[in-house]
Amino acid sequence: MAETLTGSQIICRVLEEQGVDVLFGYPGGAIMPFYHALPEFPGLRHILVRHEQAAAHAADGYARASGRPGVCVATSGPGATNLVTGLAAAHMDNSPVVAITGQVNRAMIGRDAFQETDVIGVTQPITKHNVLVRDIGQLADTLRQAMAIACAGRPGPVLVDVPKDVQNQKAAYVPAPGGVGAGSTAIAHPSRPSVPQQHALAAAARMIAEAERPLFMVGHGVLLAHATDALRCLAERTGIPVITTLLGISAFPEDHPLHLGLPGMHGEVHVNRAIQHADLIVGVGLRFDDRVTGNTAQFAPRAKIIHLELDPAEIGKNVPTELGLVGDARDLLHQLLVMVRPRECGAWRAEIAGFARTRTEQYKGDLSPQSILTALHEATGGHCTIVSDVGQHQMWVAKLYPYRRVNTHITSGGLGAMGFAVPAAMGVHFARPDQPVWAISGDGGFQMNMQEIATMVQERIPVKMAIFNNGYLGMVRQWQQFFHGRRYSATPIWSPDYVKLAAAYGIEGWRVDAAGQTADVLRAALSAQGPTLVEFMIEQEANVFPMIPPGASLSEPIEGEPAPVAV
Amino acid sequence: MSDGQTLAVLLDEELLTLTRIAGMLRRRNLPMRSIAVGPTGTPGCSRLTLMLQTDAAAADRVARQIQNVVGVRAAAAYPAKDGIARELALVKVRADHQRYGELLDAALLYKATIVDESDDAVILEVSGSEAFVLSFLRAVDRFEVLEVARSGAVALERSVAGSAATLSSETLP
Repeated sequence: MAETLTGSQIICRVLEEQGVDVLFGYPGGAIMPFYHALPEFPGLRHILVRHEQAAAHAADGYARASGRPGVCVATSGPGATNLVTGLAAAHMDNSPVVAITGQVNRAMIGRDAFQETDVIGVTQPITKHNVLVRDIGQLADTLRQAMAIACAGRPGPVLVDVPKDVQNQKAAYVPAPGGVGAGSTAIAHPSRPSVPQQHALAAAARMIAEAERPLFMVGHGVLLAHATDALRCLAERTGIPVITTLLGISAFPEDHPLHLGLPGMHGEVHVNRAIQHADLIVGVGLRFDDRVTGNTAQFAPRAKIIHLELDPAEIGKNVPTELGLVGDARDLLHQLLVMVRPRECGAWRAEIAGFARTRTEQYKGDLSPQSILTALHEATGGHCTIVSDVGQHQMWVAKLYPYRRVNTHITSGGLGAMGFAVPAAMGVHFARPDQPVWAISGDGGFQMNMQEIATMVQERIPVKMAIFNNGYLGMVRQWQQFFHGRRYSATPIWSPDYVKLAAAYGIEGWRVDAAGQTADVLRAALSAQGPTLVEFMIEQEANVFPMIPPGASLSEPIEGEPAPVAV
Repeated sequence: MSDGQTLAVLLDEELLTLTRIAGMLRRRNLPMRSIAVGPTGTPGCSRLTLMLQTDAAAADRVARQIQNVVGVRAAAAYPAKDGIARELALVKVRADHQRYGELLDAALLYKATIVDESDDAVILEVSGSEAFVLSFLRAVDRFEVLEVARSGAVALERSVAGSAATLSSETLP
């Protein structure tokens, strides 16, 4: 039954129909008709952010935690351009985000009107798809398609640009059945050659059976495909150790005897040595990013690579691949599971155990990242989602917190967008309202989006914020120490008094200077209602070890401070 | 020229889809020698032919990346030497009545036709491989060439069997 609605009402109806319950946005001139209609739809909770970048990161966080598309809304021009970093982060990490932007009236497009930006042109390389809606008759279907495209196959962000006069226009609205992507017309898409993969799977099973030093290397694709159980079964059946990339963290329980750890630039020495000694690497749902491989010419020199990946464009892109299997990670792992014979990799695992070195903590002072993250795990019992920002603390959070529950680690990996943690954690809260969410940032990244504390207060979002404060842009400083002769150019960074800042926003805040205070403060922060903020005063020049210098091979880790240079 | 790779794409007849494909090539840093786009027998569907100066692996990779672009119906790459490529050129030459016979001789040699004559200019049309067209352009260079318009190459892969690049727009949904 068709009814006549405005374009704005149609947008809201389609969002409801698609199961959207929360939007992150910021109003402005060209999106005002949408905001006029919004109060008629109480099922759509709108979160007013303080900067559109935060809206995109929050939608991204929501999507990663829930598996459903996260929606953000902005006006034309500056509103839309402020979304860019958040969309790029979602694009690099394959997160289904749908952005709705206002645009100037159709008659004004192309005339450099006030707040007109060619947002379709701007976002083209950082979205999976984007559309300018020129015809009200296409609006509902375009939005349904946007939701479908964002989630289908390899997920990614989709932007729908709606001119103000289209938002105001009236048209017939025909409801579609509920659910993400439901009711959208077919999308032109190349037909993938449906090559029967049985022989390829058999070849993979044979390679797995014959390998003496096999490894699983798994990425975000395992989490996106809900393939964690299949991965665990296959690992246990074959005894093959599992390496999790930064985005693959929490796809495999870290207390499992087959769990090895993080590879790559800041990967553990034993993990990288295992890669360099392996004769078979089974990569699942990852793209062999340069932060993982180091110098690709010297990456895993003895290993054949089997790549299980949803996107055929990834196979062979970064590393030469012996065998590529295209498909959903869970399907492929399930199929392999019935084809592989049970085996143990006892000798190989013993060899890797020989590589493992107890990393000697090189922190001065007792408030080490290790002590903080251990205390955080104890305080939460692992029942929380950790959202990290970008930099040194991101590596510590990746390596030193024992993730045992699926999809409990969220970070901006591919783009490495500082400022991600605080707004993304707001989005995670709406996906997991009953679980604590910790946003862990450095003092640099925190100051990039700390305005969002106001959003949390206004919208009652109980995100627990932690700042690892070392007074530096720490990761850049570390590189300066190692590769730029200790010239700390533009890396010392001043911070406000965060406890007073918390007070200014009317939330509780603590400063921790000694490890002895950590447990009590964390407990207090967790039991307090609403958002809280904890600042940890960590050693100023603590470094992340080991470190593979950029462009070097995984066989060349740096494990300690460089010799002091003469000044 | 027989080196290089040919990339054939069937796409929605939308400027946006075309810019997405061009953007993909730019972003993946693939040098492009020629680009030609035109309609197909299927309404709403265009065919794009790109001549790329790159190796087979890179061309195949970008074909797969282009397949991911929404609005692309099919994409495939093959070595240019495995296909037939043709382009068309229109050449405007200043009319010189004293050398008209000489111009006609050159045209005849290249099976070029005179498609327009005005008081002060003659337009010739020639088609063939890129090398052939370039050779013709050299042959008429001794006349006063005023303007040249080249179409860019369109191409088809030679065989049917085993050809990943046979893109038939008629059989697509």
